[in-house]
Amino acid sequence: MAKIVVLGAGVSGHVAASHLRRKLSKEHEVVVVSPNGNYQWIPSNIWVGTGRMKPRDILFPLAPLYAKKHIDYKQAKAVSFHPEGDKEEAKPYVLSEYVVGDDKGKREKVTYDYLINATGPKLNFEATEGLFPGKNKTHSVCTYTHAQEAWIELEGLIKEMKQGKKIKILIGTGHAKSTCQGAAFEYILNVEQELRRHKVRDMAEITWISNEYRLGDFGMDGMLMSYGSNIMKSNEMVEMIFEDRGISWILGAAVNKIKDGKAHYETLDGEYKEESYDFAMLIPSFSGHGFKAYDKIGKDITDKLFKGFMIVDADYTPKPYDQWSVQDWPETYQNPSYANIFAPGIAFAPPHSISKPRKSKNGTDITPAPPRTGMPSGITAKLVADNIIEMIKHSNSELHHKGSMGNMGAACIASAGYGMTKGSGVSITTYPIVPDYKKYPDTQGRKLGKTFGTIGLAGHWLKLALHYAFIYKAKMKPFWWLIPE
Amino acid sequence: MTQRISKYKRFMMMNPIVQFFKFIYLSIKVLIVVAGGHGGTRNV
Ligand SMILES: Cc1cc2nc3c(=O)[nH]c(=O)nc-3n(C[C@H](O)[C@H](O)[C@H](O)COP(=O)(O)OP(=O)(O)OC[C@H]3O[C@@H](n4cnc5c(N)ncnc54)[C@H](O)[C@@H]3O)c2cc1C
Repeated sequence: MAKIVVLGAGVSGHVAASHLRRKLSKEHEVVVVSPNGNYQWIPSNIWVGTGRMKPRDILFPLAPLYAKKHIDYKQAKAVSFHPEGDKEEAKPYVLSEYVVGDDKGKREKVTYDYLINATGPKLNFEATEGLFPGKNKTHSVCTYTHAQEAWIELEGLIKEMKQGKKIKILIGTGHAKSTCQGAAFEYILNVEQELRRHKVRDMAEITWISNEYRLGDFGMDGMLMSYGSNIMKSNEMVEMIFEDRGISWILGAAVNKIKDGKAHYETLDGEYKEESYDFAMLIPSFSGHGFKAYDKIGKDITDKLFKGFMIVDADYTPKPYDQWSVQDWPETYQNPSYANIFAPGIAFAPPHSISKPRKSKNGTDITPAPPRTGMPSGITAKLVADNIIEMIKHSNSELHHKGSMGNMGAACIASAGYGMTKGSGVSITTYPIVPDYKKYPDTQGRKLGKTFGTIGLAGHWLKLALHYAFIYKAKMKPFWWLIPE
Repeated sequence: MTQRISKYKRFMMMNPIVQFFKFIYLSIKVLIVVAGGHGGTRNV
């Protein structure tokens, strides 16, 4: 009998737990430890942030589902890692603290045979002075509560615009190393569309601010893609969309301070500038959760497990950009020091960025961090679950299931506006996610055809269909496993 | 605002009939890219 503990019930944690439960007999225990009692389909936060969906449309409570599916659920947060146990506890464990109910604040040693760390990112608002959702006129759409607050504020401004007030909207990244530009891209287009729907578009100046060197970098070094019968660069496509929608842009910007409706930023040229706004949505930097790890005698071994995020089978040797390769990227998401610990999704430490690193003239690193979107988060979680199942069933230490982001495709269906007839989407697929410049030297590291982009109403329908399909899947309704990650 | 998408292109992008077929095409295309498999990069 084996006990598998999954930390986190986001995209990757929930995928791992549901596949483990489906494929392992009931004699094996699957335990999920996660502080948020709800599962949320994060990609649809964009629509909560524009008032087109309510938080209840994108979430459901985990406890009843897990009870029904025989998954043990602890509404708690992991505090520290003890992969060798301690003097009293022979088994490895994670110290967890309950966050609700009578047990709130109580700590428990949650022992395990296998551990999946799927705790995703910490939304590191503190890394940018004054950046906090709901303060200084800045907002976030990273959680459904943030997104709802953003909409309440925006709705108020729309009313003021209808009365003749002109406003400035700033959307993009709020730190020199933020990632998730795709989410901000979706939000800016959705906000623009909502202003048109409310017939106040001419009352607003909308600006994109980002740490990207070029538009359409998305933390993935941009893309060369098939676009209809043409070949187009992602920066050309995004430029076309922004110009067409009347959105201006500021690039290579390291936002370092937010105060009184002003975003202060440094540019790659080393200049210090500011941009004023009435409403901003800026994605913070993502960081690890700052977990500590201890060995059997209580010695701090955090550096064996974490490098900000969790250390896995990547090549972390520091090397210059021209020596980076896809082989640096992990394949099994297994911790090299403890073979029973894995970290899929955003929880693993990437070996380096995907975009070319750049510094400002003052030496500030201004480089988008590598994104790990829902699809790779789900795929890596499933392959981790499959490897653990093989380890349990066949006492096998060799891991057969592999999935490097350098040999994996991803689809990013970016909403460009909501509406069954007026909506739009920018659909982009990339293969591979991490460019393989050796394999595809003439097409910027990616395979044309499998890397393509298209714009139109169908993209909105597809994004909406994915919303319903993935919530169906997450609810583990009949044949849920037939829907791919 | 600079018109960067021609009227014809915009019509095609927003026409529900054209886009219905595009939706089917896109769904299949996305499925191929995603379900097309994944693997390692080190021992290939
Ligand atoms: C606004 C927005 C829009 C996006 N849109 C898209 C999109 O359109 N398409 C796409 O593919 N991707 C999109 N993404 C990215 C996608 O949401 C992420 O790739 C995905 O959520 C990552 O999954 P994860 O499980 O690694 O992390 P998360 O989903 O963040 O899950 C982390 C889990 O860990 C839990 N946790 C946190 N701390 C602890 C702790 N101490 N102990 C235990 N558990 C803990 C959290 O409660 C949560 O359940 C978007 C992201 C954002 C922010």
